[in-house]
Amino acid sequence: MSERQHDRPIWRHPMPKDEDLAHQIEHEREQHLLLDPRYPLHIDEGVLDPMYRQGRLFWLVCVIVGGLVAAWGATWLVQMFYGLGITGLKRPVMWALYIVNFVYFIGVGHAGTFISAALRVLKVEWRRPISRAAETLTVFALITAAMFPIVHLGRSWKFYWLLPYPNERQIWPSYHSPLLWDLTAILTYLSCSILFAYIALLPDFAMARDHTIGWRHTLYDILSLGWRGTEREWGNQETALNVFSFGIIPVMFSVHTIVSWDFAMTLQPGWHSTVFGPYFVIGALFSGVAAVIMVMAIARKGMRLEYFLRPEHFDGMAKFLLLLSFAWDYFYFNDVLVPWYGQDPVEKTIFALLTGGYVSPIFYLMIFSNVILPAATLWSKRVRTSIPALFVVCLFVQIGMYLERYIIVPVTLGQNYLPFDWGVYTLYLPESLITVGAFALVAFLYLIASRFIPLIPVWEVYEGQVLQGLRRIGRALVKTRAEPD
Amino acid sequence: MSRYVLLGLFHEATPTANTIEQLRAVGISDDQVTVMSGMPYRPEMLGRPRHRGRVWRFAIVGALLGAATALFLTVGVWLLYPLVQGGQPITPIPPTLIIAFEVTMLGTMWASFLSMLFENRFPAFKSQLYDPRVTEGHIGVLLEVDEKLADQVEAILKANGAHHFQRVEEKRPLFKPRGGTWQDFKERIAAAIGGPDVGHRKFWLAVLTILVIGGAIGALVPYGVFPISFPTQMENQISIAYEQGPRRAAPAAAVPVQGPVLIAGLPATAPIPANANSLQRGEVLYGVTCIVCHGATGVGNGKLSGFLSPKPADLTSASIQGISDDAIFLVITQGLDAMPSLAENLGVQDRWDVINYVRRLKK
Repeated sequence: MSERQHDRPIWRHPMPKDEDLAHQIEHEREQHLLLDPRYPLHIDEGVLDPMYRQGRLFWLVCVIVGGLVAAWGATWLVQMFYGLGITGLKRPVMWALYIVNFVYFIGVGHAGTFISAALRVLKVEWRRPISRAAETLTVFALITAAMFPIVHLGRSWKFYWLLPYPNERQIWPSYHSPLLWDLTAILTYLSCSILFAYIALLPDFAMARDHTIGWRHTLYDILSLGWRGTEREWGNQETALNVFSFGIIPVMFSVHTIVSWDFAMTLQPGWHSTVFGPYFVIGALFSGVAAVIMVMAIARKGMRLEYFLRPEHFDGMAKFLLLLSFAWDYFYFNDVLVPWYGQDPVEKTIFALLTGGYVSPIFYLMIFSNVILPAATLWSKRVRTSIPALFVVCLFVQIGMYLERYIIVPVTLGQNYLPFDWGVYTLYLPESLITVGAFALVAFLYLIASRFIPLIPVWEVYEGQVLQGLRRIGRALVKTRAEPD
Repeated sequence: MSRYVLLGLFHEATPTANTIEQLRAVGISDDQVTVMSGMPYRPEMLGRPRHRGRVWRFAIVGALLGAATALFLTVGVWLLYPLVQGGQPITPIPPTLIIAFEVTMLGTMWASFLSMLFENRFPAFKSQLYDPRVTEGHIGVLLEVDEKLADQVEAILKANGAHHFQRVEEKRPLFKPRGGTWQDFKERIAAAIGGPDVGHRKFWLAVLTILVIGGAIGALVPYGVFPISFPTQMENQISIAYEQGPRRAAPAAAVPVQGPVLIAGLPATAPIPANANSLQRGEVLYGVTCIVCHGATGVGNGKLSGFLSPKPADLTSASIQGISDDAIFLVITQGLDAMPSLAENLGVQDRWDVINYVRRLKK
């Protein structure tokens, strides 16, 4: 290569004279975001422009989703006034849909940070445009999940009694209880996920500050804290991101393990099992990765991010999903095999209920969505790169994982060691409204955030584009990886 | 002699690195130069010394603080105020490990975040020398020079293709002097208090002060150091003992919730005549509900009587037979001593049938 080529800005692509080579380069550029650099101002524009776009559809969705969130609020107020008796909760099923939602949304909140942190640690290149969308999903899902134990409280306004601080009531939370571990773990995970997302956002807020006027400029000026991109700032930011990446992965594993201990530490048959920790973690990652793919697909369509989110990214995520599906199958088999082998009467009853009882439609739908469908479709690259097909698969995974949590919580809780105390949980209106409201809340927060937060980490994409290159080996062009340490 | 702050913008890394090399040849130290960019260029790419931050150290300090907090919450408090629960020891190890892990990670990450902000001198309130084109992929070289070197440096920047250029006169030194002498130390102290980019220090000092003072006040309130005059303590609230009088009389038309049976001196309901039908029913019911304690003949030698203390009453005795039907009815309804209430097992009519039968048990 000549000296000039080193000095050429990366967004200028002179085409080689060799027509075959030029064709190949063109093809690679279409395939890979990092090989298709553009003038940075155009990239900035591609991220900032959708944030200004609030069409009729956006407001319509906002009103619908906001209305559902308001319905949650109203239902919650009614429930606080009349008590939990207006829900379907009754002995022996005292944990039902609220706890299902709690576990489900904590699970969805797992993938974001995992994708962002683990793929950063492993230096996986296709993470670059995804990480922001994943991190924000984590934050919103966790906020929603954290509300559910409070919704489930009889006196929701006394939730702060869980916090350890010297108080005039002279009560102190007992750290012997798994519920307190839960609170500590979720507070750690939620606050650190927000900080993790914020640290990576600083350069993008600075970018937004430099290219906006009016109140948005003021907002981003405050949020970017005066970021200029000096060497010191980048150096300290990288150190902090490294600390967070390595720190948040074990925290993430611990969070869902502790959620599973809320169940496994009891003596309830079907819950009291050592496999619950890893089983929950894998299930969380499984549903979380599927949720991130869905969010990516919606954001790509709704915000016209086709330049950033390409089929290669969906392909990578879908492979990850397939891998997690296999792992989930393994753990689920474990969770069923061991009780089956023990032939404990209660466990047998629960198993019979799943395979042939009133729960069997739910059970078979879950097996179809979580085991059969991913394994049957995701091996195919055509499905993995087709965004509508992948969206449908991910939707089924979501349904399957929700049903799985439903089977674990109210169905299992209906059968215990004392047959006189068995019961079937039925869904009442209040918890149904609140559940719909929970999904709406995540969507609502995401809608609002998509107009305030640059959903694509521009600096990471730009860095990847500067570092990535093509090398010709024989007749073929090969992508070279170059992420320096 | 006035000093100048210069900013030149470049398109690419290579001319930037060349510029920095030439500046070094002119005698400008690495401390006087900084590079601004829209992506993290590695120091080696630009021929710059590697930045050595202190975020790691803060992270370790944060981890230790977090671990100490966790141990205080899980071990310290429980040793100060021991309370056995769940058959567990006062400070069981596994839960302590869980809390210690979580709070340690919390401390580590918060400390690294806060130290990153502090080390980066965030938040920066003062307007700084900057060019928004930095976030468009341009690389800015920012440096501070003496008046005599300023023109020379400007020439170097322009010769290397700096397409944009800013030059600002700076009264106070932008970069703190480094060194070990007493004079250097005094200059650093002066810069720390009144230097050009110390806004972030004042900010963090204010935050820290508010936290410390607020936390101290908050912590002292429950101990009554700052007495607040609303009755939050139970001992200050009105206290009424169990069934403490004066009790109000029941309204004239009121009936006890259990029904008229319990009004002393009145018959519960009209007793059923002791005909053959009633006696037969009484015998059957007696055989179901009463026989296990009072025995088939009513002398109190039922199969369970050996386990009971006091012993079941001898229904044939004169003292039992001497009490009124209503009193027996009350005993069956409410229970007495070891005898439970049989109101759930025997309906009102059933009780009268049993009473009729018991009257026949007389010796």
